[in-house]
Amino acid sequence: MKSVQASICAGLTLLCVTVSGQAPQIPTAIPGQAPPVDLSGYWSPVLHEDLMERGAGSELADYGGFPLNEAGRLWALSYDPSRVTLRHHQCEAYLAPYQMRALGNFRIWEEREEHTQRLVAIHVWAQTTEGHRVIWMDGRPHPPAWAPHTFRGFSTGQFVGSALVVRTTHMKNGALRRGNGVPQSDQATLIEYFVRHDDHLTDVTVVTDPVFLSEPIVRSNDFYRQPVDPGAWLYACDDGEQILDRAKDDVPHYPFGKQPFAREFAARYKLPLASSLLGGVTMYPELAARLRTVNDAEANALFAPARGRAAETSTGVDPEPHDGNIHIWPVRENVYMLVGDGGNIVVQTGDQGAFVVDTGAGTLSGKVIAAIRSLTNQPIQFIANTNFRPEHTGGNAALGAAGQDPSLPGSFFFVQSPRAVTGFFDDPLKHATMMAHANVQVRMQAAGAPADAVPADTYLEDRRRKFHNGDAIELFFQPNAVTDGDSLVYFRRADVIVAGDIFTTTQYPVIDVKTGGSVQGLIAALNNILDRTVYRHQGEGGTYIVPGHGYLADEHEVVEYRDMVVIVRDRVKALIGAGASLQQVKAARVTADYDTQFGANTGAWTTDMFVEAVYTSLRTATAKR
Amino acid sequence: MRLGLITKAALLLAVLPAFGFNVLVHAQRGGRGGPGAAPTPRASAPFDLAGQWVSLITEDWRHRQFTPPKGDYAALPLSPGGRKLADSWDPARDEAAGEQCRAYGAAGLLRLPTRIRIAWQDDTTLKLEADAGTQTRMFYFGAPQGSGGDWQGLSSATWHAPRAPFPGRGGGAASGGSLKVVTTRMKPGYLRKNGVPYGANAVLTEYFDRFDVPGGDSLLVITSELVDTENLLTPYWTSQQFKREDGKTGWNPTPCAAR
Repeated sequence: MKSVQASICAGLTLLCVTVSGQAPQIPTAIPGQAPPVDLSGYWSPVLHEDLMERGAGSELADYGGFPLNEAGRLWALSYDPSRVTLRHHQCEAYLAPYQMRALGNFRIWEEREEHTQRLVAIHVWAQTTEGHRVIWMDGRPHPPAWAPHTFRGFSTGQFVGSALVVRTTHMKNGALRRGNGVPQSDQATLIEYFVRHDDHLTDVTVVTDPVFLSEPIVRSNDFYRQPVDPGAWLYACDDGEQILDRAKDDVPHYPFGKQPFAREFAARYKLPLASSLLGGVTMYPELAARLRTVNDAEANALFAPARGRAAETSTGVDPEPHDGNIHIWPVRENVYMLVGDGGNIVVQTGDQGAFVVDTGAGTLSGKVIAAIRSLTNQPIQFIANTNFRPEHTGGNAALGAAGQDPSLPGSFFFVQSPRAVTGFFDDPLKHATMMAHANVQVRMQAAGAPADAVPADTYLEDRRRKFHNGDAIELFFQPNAVTDGDSLVYFRRADVIVAGDIFTTTQYPVIDVKTGGSVQGLIAALNNILDRTVYRHQGEGGTYIVPGHGYLADEHEVVEYRDMVVIVRDRVKALIGAGASLQQVKAARVTADYDTQFGANTGAWTTDMFVEAVYTSLRTATAKR
Repeated sequence: MRLGLITKAALLLAVLPAFGFNVLVHAQRGGRGGPGAAPTPRASAPFDLAGQWVSLITEDWRHRQFTPPKGDYAALPLSPGGRKLADSWDPARDEAAGEQCRAYGAAGLLRLPTRIRIAWQDDTTLKLEADAGTQTRMFYFGAPQGSGGDWQGLSSATWHAPRAPFPGRGGGAASGGSLKVVTTRMKPGYLRKNGVPYGANAVLTEYFDRFDVPGGDSLLVITSELVDTENLLTPYWTSQQFKREDGKTGWNPTPCAAR
C-alpha cells in the first residue's frame, strides 16, 4: 500500500496532503507548477481597513504604523501633494504594494502554454491605473540590476501549500502610502502571499526597503469574489497644464521643519505630536510606553534632520556587475546598452557601421569590442562622447582603432584635406570618427590624452545631427551641466536618450564646478531630457533614458532625479540667503532624505562634495549677478 | 482504435482511485490515535502555530493604537441600530459596571496592540492568550466545551483547505490549509474601543495562516469575518498581522481598560 501511495503522490501532487509540524518554506520554483487553488476571476477589494488612505488619501504627517527611517520620514515631511500637478507626475501609476490596496476591482487569470497547458503566468489587472501585473510561474529568473524598473515591478511566483507566494523586484520609486508622501524606493522588494478562503481572497504584502524603512512592513488586502464582470477596466490619463507659467525648476516641496500642516494630524485627533513620526515602534504594543518618554523638544526635533549625525550612505544595490564581463541589454530596436566597464555604453547597429555612445573606462575594451561585434558585422563607424570623463572616454582609443569610417575615403573632403592639412582625416579606414562637444576635445587635450582618443569631429552650439542606420541621431549641447561639454545623444526613431553623467540612478550628480559644471545648468539639462520624453502608459515606458551609471530608465527616474536636485538646490539657496557658510550648509544635512539613495562618505564623489558643488555654483551665480 | 463501452468502464474504474484514493490514504494515516485511527488535530496540523506572536499595527493605525473619538466609525458598516448604540458609548459607565473588557472580546481582541501566545492544551484544543486585557481564547476541534456567554464566546476549530464538494473528478482538496475558527455566543462587546458594538448573536469566522518570509520573519495572518445583523449592515472583514517572537521578552499582561 505504501508504494502505491508514493507513486500516486509522485504523479498527482495536488492530492497529497502534507502533514507536518514544520512551517512552510518556499521551495525552488517549479516551472509551470499546476496551481493547487484557483485564483482566477473577478475580485473586489474590501475597504474596511485604511479607508482614508484608499479613498480620499492619507492625511499629511500620518505615518503611524510605517517603520520609516529618518530618510523616509524626512522625505515624507518634505513632500508637497501639489507636486502631482507637475506634468510628469500627473499620470504615474501605483507601485505594486499600493496597487493591491487601491479602490477598484481586480481580474485574475492564468496564462498557459498552448500545447502542454503548463502554467506560464498569472495575470492581475487592476481597474485603477490599468494596473497589469504579470506573475511569472515558469521559473524564469529576475532581470539583472541594470534592467529597467516599472511601477509594478518584475514578479515571479510559486505555490506553497495552497498559498501563492510572489516575489517582486525592479519597482520604481513611488508612494508606499497614497497621498501623503510616504516613500518606497527603487530598491524595495515585495513578498506576497495570496490565500483563498472560499470566496474570500487575502493578499499579504511584505515590503522590505533598505532606503526608507528600518524593517519590513506587513499589510494585508482582502477581496471578495464577484460573480460577474464589474467592467470599467480602463483608466485613461493624459497629462496637461495645471498651473500656467510655472518655472520649469519649480518643484513643490516643504523645507525641513516648515511643513505647515505637519502638526494638524496629531492636533485633530488629540494624539501626542510624536505619535505618528516614531517609525518602527509605531507598529508595536510598545508605542504607548515609548510615547511616555518623548518630551516636546524630542517631538519637535523629528520634523528636521537630526543635528550632528553623520550623513547616511546609499543602501542601494550597485547595478555595476563588477564581474569582469560586458553585459548587453537590448534597449529598443537596434539600440543596446553595454554594462560592465564603468560608464554605460550605447551601441546602435544597422546596415551602416555601429554608432557608439561613450566607450567606458577602457579597462575592458577588448570585451566591449567583442560585444559590439556580436551585435553587428559592420565596423564601429562613429563614437560620440557625452562628456570628457575617463569612465566615458577611456575606451575611445581602443574602440576607435577597432573601427573605421567608410564614409570618408574617396570623399571630396578627404581628398582635399589630408592629415597634413587638417590633422583629422588620416587613415579613416583604420579609425572610427569620434564626435563630441568642442569642450570635450579641449579638456582631453589639456589633460594630455593621446590624439587617437580625442574626438576630432566637434560642435560648438546647440546640436550636432546625423542620420545613421535609419535613425535621426542628435547630440544636444547642455551648457554648464555637470561639466562644460555635456551632450545628450538622442536616437529619435528608437526613442532613446543617452544622458551621460547628467543623469545617473546611483549617486548624486557629479557637478564639477572647476570644469564648468553648475547646479542650474544641470537642472536645465534634466528638464531638457524631460522635454523630449513621452511615456507609453501611466507615466512609464516610452522614451528610454540610458544613464551615465546605473539601470536603464524612463522619464520617471529622470523626473525624480530632477526633483531631488531642485529640492537640494532650494534648501542650499535658502541657507545662503540666510547667511549660512558652507560649513553651516553641510551641517544642516540638506540631503538627509536622499542620502540612503545616493549618499557616499568615501570614494571619488561624496555627499559633501555634491553639497559643496551646489553651494559653490549658487554662490558663483550670485557673484556674477 | 475505438474502445468498447466495457473497456471504457474498466479504464474508468482503474483511474478513479488515482483521483480519490490518495486523499483517503492520507486521511486515514495513523496519527497519535494509533494505527488505523484518524490523526488528531494536533498531529494533522499543516503548520505550527505555537509560540509568541506580536501584533503589527500597520493598518487602521489610529483606530487601533489609540481610542478613537466618540463617533469615529470610519469604514465600519454600522446599521442604524449599531450606530445608535455606538453613539451612547460611555467609558465611565462601563467602568462603573465592571465592563472594561468590552473591547477585549473575541471580535475585537486581536485588533488591539497585543502579544499572543498560542499553545496546544491537548491534542484537540488550542489555547490563545493575549496580554492585552489578559484574555484567553480556547479553540476546540470537535464539540466546544462550555456554554459561552463570556467575552471570548465559544470557538470551534477545523483545519481548512479549498476543497471540491464532490471527490473523484480531479482537483479535490488543496495541500496546506488554514486554521478555521468559528466563534459564537460572545458577550456583547466592542469592535473598536470607542463603543462600536457587536451583539450576542454575532458570528466571528477567522482563518489563521502562517507564512515564513524568506530570510526573515514568520508571520501569522488572521483573516476575520464578523456577521452581526443587529449592528452591521454587511459582514465586517479585516485581516490582522502578527510576527513571531522568541517569547523571552515583551510579554506584558495588562488589565482591560475602557478608555
